[in-house]
Amino acid sequence: MSEITQKPVFSKKTGFSADLLWTMGPIILALLLTTLALVAIGADPLKAYTTLWNGAFGSPEKLGSVIDAWVPLVFCSVGLLVTFTAGLWNIGIEGQIVMGAIGAAWVARTFDLPAEILIALMFIGGALGGAAWALLAGALKVYGRVHEIFGGLGLNFVAMGVTLYLIIGPWKRAGIASTSGTEPFRPAAWLLNFPGLTVGPVEIILAIISLALIYFALRGTLWGLQLKAIGKNARSAFWLGIPTSRHMLGAFAVCGVFAGLAGAEQASGVWARLIPAISGGYGYLAILVVLLSGFRAPLVPFVAFFFAAVSKGSISLPLDLQVDSALGGVLQGVVVLLFVLSQGVRAKWTQTLSS
Amino acid sequence: MSKRVLLVVTIFVIAGIIAACAPAPTATPVAKPITFGVVLVGPYNDHGWSEAHYTAAQYVKSKLPGSDFIYIDKLNPADRPGMTLEQVVNDMKSKGVRLILTTSDDFQTDTIAIAPKFPDITFINASGDSAWKDGKNYKDIKNLGNFMGKMEYMKMVAGCAAALSTQTGKMGFLGPLINDETRRLADAAYLGAKYCWTTYAKKNAADLKFDVKWIGFWFNIPGVTLDPTKVANDFFNAGNDVVISGIDTTEALVVTGQRQAKGEKVWAVSYDYKEGCNEAPNACLGVPYFNWGPAYLKTVKEFQAGTWKPSWDWNGPDWANLDNPDTGAVGFTFGKGLTDANKTTVQQFIKGLGDGSINLWKGPITLQDGTVYVKEGAVATDKEIWYLPQLLQGMTGQSAPTK
Amino acid sequence: MRLELKHIHKHFGAVHANDDISIAVESGTIHGLLGENGAGKSTLMKILSGFIHRDAGEILLDGRAVAFKNPAEAIRAGVGMLHQDPLDFPPLTVLDNFLFGREDGFMQNRAGALADLQRFSRQFGFDLDPDALVSSLTVGERQQLEIMRLLSLGAKILIFDEPTTGISLPQKIKLFETLRLLAKQGMTIIFVTHKLQDAEDLCGKVTVLRLGKMTGQVTHPFTADQLVRLMFGQSLETRARASVALGEPILELRDICVADYRLRVPEINLQVRAGQVIGLAGIEGSGQRLLLRACAGLDQPVAGDIWISGARMNRQPYRDFLERGVAYLPAGRLEEGLVPGLNLTEHFILARRSREFFIDWRAAQDAAQSRIGEYSIRGVPASRVEALSGGNQQRALLALLQPNLNLILLEHPTRGLDIESTMWVWSQLLARRQRGAAIVFASADLDEIFEYSDRILVFSGGRVARALNAQETSVQQLGELIGGKGL
Repeated sequence: MSEITQKPVFSKKTGFSADLLWTMGPIILALLLTTLALVAIGADPLKAYTTLWNGAFGSPEKLGSVIDAWVPLVFCSVGLLVTFTAGLWNIGIEGQIVMGAIGAAWVARTFDLPAEILIALMFIGGALGGAAWALLAGALKVYGRVHEIFGGLGLNFVAMGVTLYLIIGPWKRAGIASTSGTEPFRPAAWLLNFPGLTVGPVEIILAIISLALIYFALRGTLWGLQLKAIGKNARSAFWLGIPTSRHMLGAFAVCGVFAGLAGAEQASGVWARLIPAISGGYGYLAILVVLLSGFRAPLVPFVAFFFAAVSKGSISLPLDLQVDSALGGVLQGVVVLLFVLSQGVRAKWTQTLSS
Repeated sequence: MSKRVLLVVTIFVIAGIIAACAPAPTATPVAKPITFGVVLVGPYNDHGWSEAHYTAAQYVKSKLPGSDFIYIDKLNPADRPGMTLEQVVNDMKSKGVRLILTTSDDFQTDTIAIAPKFPDITFINASGDSAWKDGKNYKDIKNLGNFMGKMEYMKMVAGCAAALSTQTGKMGFLGPLINDETRRLADAAYLGAKYCWTTYAKKNAADLKFDVKWIGFWFNIPGVTLDPTKVANDFFNAGNDVVISGIDTTEALVVTGQRQAKGEKVWAVSYDYKEGCNEAPNACLGVPYFNWGPAYLKTVKEFQAGTWKPSWDWNGPDWANLDNPDTGAVGFTFGKGLTDANKTTVQQFIKGLGDGSINLWKGPITLQDGTVYVKEGAVATDKEIWYLPQLLQGMTGQSAPTK
Repeated sequence: MRLELKHIHKHFGAVHANDDISIAVESGTIHGLLGENGAGKSTLMKILSGFIHRDAGEILLDGRAVAFKNPAEAIRAGVGMLHQDPLDFPPLTVLDNFLFGREDGFMQNRAGALADLQRFSRQFGFDLDPDALVSSLTVGERQQLEIMRLLSLGAKILIFDEPTTGISLPQKIKLFETLRLLAKQGMTIIFVTHKLQDAEDLCGKVTVLRLGKMTGQVTHPFTADQLVRLMFGQSLETRARASVALGEPILELRDICVADYRLRVPEINLQVRAGQVIGLAGIEGSGQRLLLRACAGLDQPVAGDIWISGARMNRQPYRDFLERGVAYLPAGRLEEGLVPGLNLTEHFILARRSREFFIDWRAAQDAAQSRIGEYSIRGVPASRVEALSGGNQQRALLALLQPNLNLILLEHPTRGLDIESTMWVWSQLLARRQRGAAIVFASADLDEIFEYSDRILVFSGGRVARALNAQETSVQQLGELIGGKGL
């Protein structure tokens, strides 16, 4: 069974300095390890970090592209907060993003409507597509006894297959059979960007609203509390009379809605068409975001910003230094790994001290 | 808010302030007279399409003092998820780049969409046709041009080498995705093969089997495209003994080398890159390659001089000296797999193509479905060649996307 | 090999699980270790076999003091244990399992092992296919495999923990035959059981434990009577109790059969009326929990009908049982009742059957505060349940029950609680009973069973005795029933 434990990492007994140490420690250590890796491949670490920094914050356009990545990360993290609260590892979020994009693409290709209505419908289509796909993973878990990690992984592959089928099949470009993508949508289906930037107001506002909504829903409603109980101990929750199966399905569906919004945003705002890798890996990255946030909604936007900055900043690495941009991914992964590790070490350490 | 939340928020706010205070690194004065940008769809060292472009950029750097380039490779959603061409252009722009070459058919749509947003940047989309006034996809964009090499002639040479080498009379064409360019090149390879098969080998055209399989993209993306290694193996397993590669990367040649090492009599024709035979020299009949250098150099010079205008350049080979790096846009390197006798024959064929005594675009050219495309006595126009709608009669394989 | 345990002590927190236990066992004998659940048998044997460490005392093998860091060391010294749930690897073959623990170095000597296996099989008349998967064997066959494995590792002292649970009668006869043969070959056998008959049939000498202490040692011949007295004590008196007018039948079980993967208890018939208290007695794991969960709607019975307040409840969802005023208090307070990580306020909100969407945290906190006072829970509304003591967790569970209940099912309602909490829990339950609730509880504590039950249902060895009238039953009778005699 998956069980996400939220240990009280920040105890009241220890002081602020200890907390700072335990938070910054993994980050500093991660930087150290990444530096070692850079030295090992013969790159100048200082230059690499400057490049990374400038790649993310060097100009308004770059900041714009960071926010461009921040938006889908926040959408997905918001969804994952719900499933994690219910104790579910929704690895299938990638497929849910894809299905959201497909939903949005279908709307864009089917209806010829004014931009405002069309884009609103695309987001709704995306939300429905994501939710439907998530419900499938949920049903596999609840009724089919397939663990959500395996079900989700399988459905991710199926979703990929569906996109490919659409791109080289029914939605192909005239005379062309290429997996590169569909014809661009009509301009009415493109999300409006700030002048000169690759990101616009609609998706940012939508992401912030989503985050606020889920933050309050999880802490202020009976639904949120019931999910929390299920996540911490599903047997006891059932004993208390909470309909655990229904709530698990619900959690999947809600996560799917937000993943679908991310997919719709990617389809409409970033690519203006459907491409095979439309999810951009944001679903998997969002899992790391939520882990590093310690499952706390208020931290999500900041951690997501950090991840978005590293992702986008690392684009400059091959341009400037011939260092592979995968370095950014290494840094992200190592930070999360060390953070999770440090939690374990800290728990053990405090235990040893107290006994 | 808990103490932890506060703590992390504090850290990020401080980081933000540092970011804001750091000197803006943009608009550093361009030290060199010109730096142009190159956007590659695959790895810069793919021994194929992308490396040919990378080599051309190096060529400009060496020929034009004071010039330099920056590049990004592997720009495709599988390798760099979430990274768009627009972001890359922004990034290059901030480094002072004002001339950007987007070097793949895959970038054509985005380049067309982006170019109007960046009026101060000049774009070249290699292999595209949007700047061709007579073309089907003409877009009047002031800062976007195209160039492409007349690869079809070298594909004819490739087909010829294959037809002379095959023992079984069966050859496979490993195609990327289906579009105008790829149909054109597959057809050209067949025309070359058929000509040499009937003219030099004196065999019946009907006995030549030419099978085309498309993998779905320019190179292998696991889970998205068919695996070219597998497709190449399938070709050989089905009795073909020559595979002509039409994709950006070298899987076909690698497979052939492996099978040859096991004693099979099989060969491959590589594609794109001058040194494309190196991975399995003995299995390689030759490689029709792009020599982008001259076109790059011309464009950069024009841009530097301020005389650049949007144009669609379809550059041919230097028939007099096929391997001259400073002239022709396309060339052919012979491989060790081609016998000396056959090499002589192929050279004879090339000579005929060059002096016009052999023109394979002369009618009759019949499409796969039996329609006559170019009538007896007529010669196909550039437009007819560029937009060939189907594979040709005598070839097997898919002409167009499935319905 | 002669074994001596001298003055063994072991504490788990406040519990004195082994309190000055001394046993001597000669080689070539079968020594019985008898006691109820929680008597300290398992602890003692785990100390002997190296799974846990003693706090004080000595272990002597042939007069030589030993201290095992782990089970592997114990095996090397010649002490092997057969666990109730065999510690084997079901997905692997018999031979693979036989190979575990052998010190052949990195490369296994399969041929040698096979020869060993065949030699032992001949010796004892076992018939195991070396290539069969362990998952396809019966419990009895797995025991045979384990005996041979331990012998091949050089065990001289063999500990059998409740080996007759879950095996058929022919297998039991075969097992006893094997044990006697082993003893004849000079092995030292310790036979841990709660079954009187087994001890009588097999053991030359029996040590009885009760609540961590040694209550006596008897040598053959002895009577079941003696054993029962040592096992359960004799201090019980039936006390007068307040008479309660019995009401309508609340729970009716008709030919119920409950089962899980290792146990099947058929033909349970019972009628419980409002105001009645039924005690379920027996060694833990004899089916009491299965029955309670079936009555609560948490598990489905294999056969038979459950009626609650005149409605047939077979295959009805758990929520319908809740609606009918059925409540179940599990023994695993933090595992299947309370939610660790959530605080008391959150628990009270969740247990409330209201359908409100937004939570009024202030009101909820006030309500929690008053509930905490009402049930005298030592904690505050923000206390997480895992931080509460066992007694306070039990109080919290009781506080979560709906005000009007018809049927309360409890599993070990006072296990691990101090006297004060125990008294308080029962005062709450009896008050509920006065208001017309029927109570069914399982307990391993015979005092508790006698003290509170009107009628007693004894579970033993996959069977249930006809309900006894508590007033007319003696400890002796009950002890024998629990030990499997007279069922």
